[in-house]
Amino acid sequence: MNKALLAFVLSPVCMTALADNHTSKAPSAPLEVGVDSSIVMQDLTVLGNRQKDIQMRSSVNTISIGKEFLQNNFSGSLMQSLRGIPGVKAMSIGSGQSKPTIRGLGFNRMVVTEDGIKHEGQQWGDDHGLEIDQFAIDHIDVVKGPAALLYGSDAIGGVINLYSNYIPTKKFQGAVSLFGRSNNESVGLSARLQGITGGFYWKANTTLIDYADYRVPTNSIQYFSYDIPLKDKLLRNTAGLERDGSVTLGYKGINFHTELKLSDAYTKSGFFANAHGLEVRLSSIDYDKSRRDIDLPYQSVNHFKVMSHTVYQEGQLALELNLAYQNNHRKELTEPIAHGYMPTPPNSLEREFKKDTYTANLMTRYDLNERHSLSAGVNGEYQHNRRAGWGFIIPDFETTSFGAYAFDRYTIKKDLIVNAGVRYDHVRTNIHSYTDWFKTPVSATDTIYKERSQDLCRSFNSLTWSAGINYATAGWILKANIGKSFRVPIPKELGTDGVNYHIFRYEKGNPNLNPEESYQLDAGIHWGNDRLTIQFDPYLNYFPNYIYMNPTPNYYEGLQWYYYTQSRVIRCGFELQADWKILPSLSAEFKGEYLYAEQLSGEKKGYTLPFSTPWSADATLRYAFCRKNVGNEGFVAMNMHVTGRQNNIVPPEKPTPGYYTLNLTAGKDFAFGERTLRLSLNAENLLNRKYYDHTSFYRLIDVPEPGRNVALIATFEF
Amino acid sequence: MKKILFSLAAVAALLGMVSCSTESVEVPVITDLGITANPVDCQVYNRGDSIYFHYRITGHEELGSYNLEIHNNFDHHTHGTQGQTCALDAKKDPQKNAFYYNQDFVIPRGNKDYDARQSIYIPANAQPGDYHFVIRATNSQGGQGIRAMAIKIK
Repeated sequence: MNKALLAFVLSPVCMTALADNHTSKAPSAPLEVGVDSSIVMQDLTVLGNRQKDIQMRSSVNTISIGKEFLQNNFSGSLMQSLRGIPGVKAMSIGSGQSKPTIRGLGFNRMVVTEDGIKHEGQQWGDDHGLEIDQFAIDHIDVVKGPAALLYGSDAIGGVINLYSNYIPTKKFQGAVSLFGRSNNESVGLSARLQGITGGFYWKANTTLIDYADYRVPTNSIQYFSYDIPLKDKLLRNTAGLERDGSVTLGYKGINFHTELKLSDAYTKSGFFANAHGLEVRLSSIDYDKSRRDIDLPYQSVNHFKVMSHTVYQEGQLALELNLAYQNNHRKELTEPIAHGYMPTPPNSLEREFKKDTYTANLMTRYDLNERHSLSAGVNGEYQHNRRAGWGFIIPDFETTSFGAYAFDRYTIKKDLIVNAGVRYDHVRTNIHSYTDWFKTPVSATDTIYKERSQDLCRSFNSLTWSAGINYATAGWILKANIGKSFRVPIPKELGTDGVNYHIFRYEKGNPNLNPEESYQLDAGIHWGNDRLTIQFDPYLNYFPNYIYMNPTPNYYEGLQWYYYTQSRVIRCGFELQADWKILPSLSAEFKGEYLYAEQLSGEKKGYTLPFSTPWSADATLRYAFCRKNVGNEGFVAMNMHVTGRQNNIVPPEKPTPGYYTLNLTAGKDFAFGERTLRLSLNAENLLNRKYYDHTSFYRLIDVPEPGRNVALIATFEF
Repeated sequence: MKKILFSLAAVAALLGMVSCSTESVEVPVITDLGITANPVDCQVYNRGDSIYFHYRITGHEELGSYNLEIHNNFDHHTHGTQGQTCALDAKKDPQKNAFYYNQDFVIPRGNKDYDARQSIYIPANAQPGDYHFVIRATNSQGGQGIRAMAIKIK
């Protein structure tokens, strides 16, 4: 701990010392491309100012990403594509899907929004991915740090804001992308057509993806010390498919902009057949007959969304109204197997969740004068979740939440801005009881239908706040932010009581949990000139009552007993990024991140938190060619990624060795008059190294990360 | 410029040192070292007899509890720690008299090495066939070790 703090304190000193007398460049180009992916900025001065504008916009660390970054870093899933951002990680959950984490906080400790609406799926689940079409996204803002003020509950670690807000500029235009990945023989097509006439515009998107079983660089895996041979190094039954579609209609006037978007995202993906649950199943299903089929066990998720987004601006006043309806329908199907006191279930539907979410946000901004910019808003949300299937994990519930905030941004002088805000939230959760469908013996003569969840109604109130400062001078931009954020306990934490057949443990909720609170101090130090830029973002985070599932030495019905409890937790860490423009055509980038977490109270005092992110560093050399040939630019970049060993673990985790990978990205544009063809290549793990990701869901069952993978994407814009 | 790269490398090295300084967590080991353990893989028992269970549980942490479970393997599944494959009878459906046993035992406090013994009676009317014998053991920190073996009841 002391060493960590020392490193924490010393690092800025080191960085400022060596940053002093060197020249610099603007940060890597992909980050700088605006909302419209077709804009390729050439002028470095423009880039520099844009970077400063973004940096000065908020006292919280925000990173802005354009579509080109996503194409150049195209990977299996949207979140995997975002891994290149310091502090952002994708928790791999197999099946080509991943969950985002920001500074080690994932699940319900961060928020994903789409066009300002909080995305509501089943984000609490270990193997539940993100149901969003990554090809419909135009622009992403990643907020690292507390953002409760705008988003209410859950925005503790940060927010990933996804925007599909590009407004067409021609009567008819579009783009078609074809892509493939070698590792899981993934093939896909994504198309967008759009147009604008007068102020009226329309957009239509579709994405189709099919992939086969994943390949890992090993012939067998060790699962509870038992060797599972893999045929052709393939993870059995991890094939899947994705079908997405959306339609947007909008009107853009001078003072008024409104948009209605309907979208549907459907995925079906297999679970690794040999390690689903704690038993190694000898199924009669012939998994090895085809690499592309999806057998039991598998999951299917459909996410349907209707969103309305309206902005009205008049003089110093701006009003924004967002309304949304989301329906998340998730199924998990497994071969019916008797276990413990549960007899063989009648069908393969292990779990089903149907969640409806209604959201309304009203925001207003009023520029009082040149100095004061006031914002205020109200949010309301209603969630309705119903379960089915023979496997119980979370009860039925309804949650109603309401929040209101006010925020002032005060410009003392051009390069010195302070801000402060306050928010109040009221959340009411109503949980329904659940009783087993089978009988369990409670004594030598008596068997009963056990109640796994009780009727429960709880209300939570939270007052959160934040304050920050932005200061710019010469080549420096300095920011600091302090804020309180919170998260309401989810129904699983409050109400679960029973066997989690997925990971074979007995989980007990705690109906008395308090809202989890978090205090975080953030800083951002940016220094740069036209050749070198350095960005250093340290943070210190304290939870008085982190909600945590604690493994105990006790058994219940033959399964290890885990229960939800709360403990004091301190976390600290930083991200560091340096970009150096060596020559006009050659640039180098260094990125690193470090995180330390420790529980300060409770039964696991002295231990870290589950899934603690190990340190990692990246070094990239990038060469740009055809720079003078506008519309035909190209680049090639070589990257080395190093992740440290993670010894800092908490039961039932195992230490994870460190690893390094070599990766290559390249891209080239070809202009055909008004049209463009863009080719991007992303080759990961060139040396086909076998390694484990400590933050992966599959780490617990010793499945290594995918081996060498070459992804190619061709986009034709017209 | 070299100075910069050197400094960055130094910072990275410093971080590496910081992040490798904590102890690891162990899980209990269920072993037959130094004892004649019972049951072992592929062992055959008769109905109406008892299984005289005997294994050693060891660990670096203080031990917590252990659990013994016997369930049928009429559907031919396998467990993680099974050392060898045994000849199995044909697949069949479990009847009402299929044998099932599931008991938890607390290990007295302060033990890091424990000699676990239990006697488990197999009812005379139990459905014969292939069964699994599963031992689970925890330590005080919640780490869990598992050992499973295949047995047959005649």
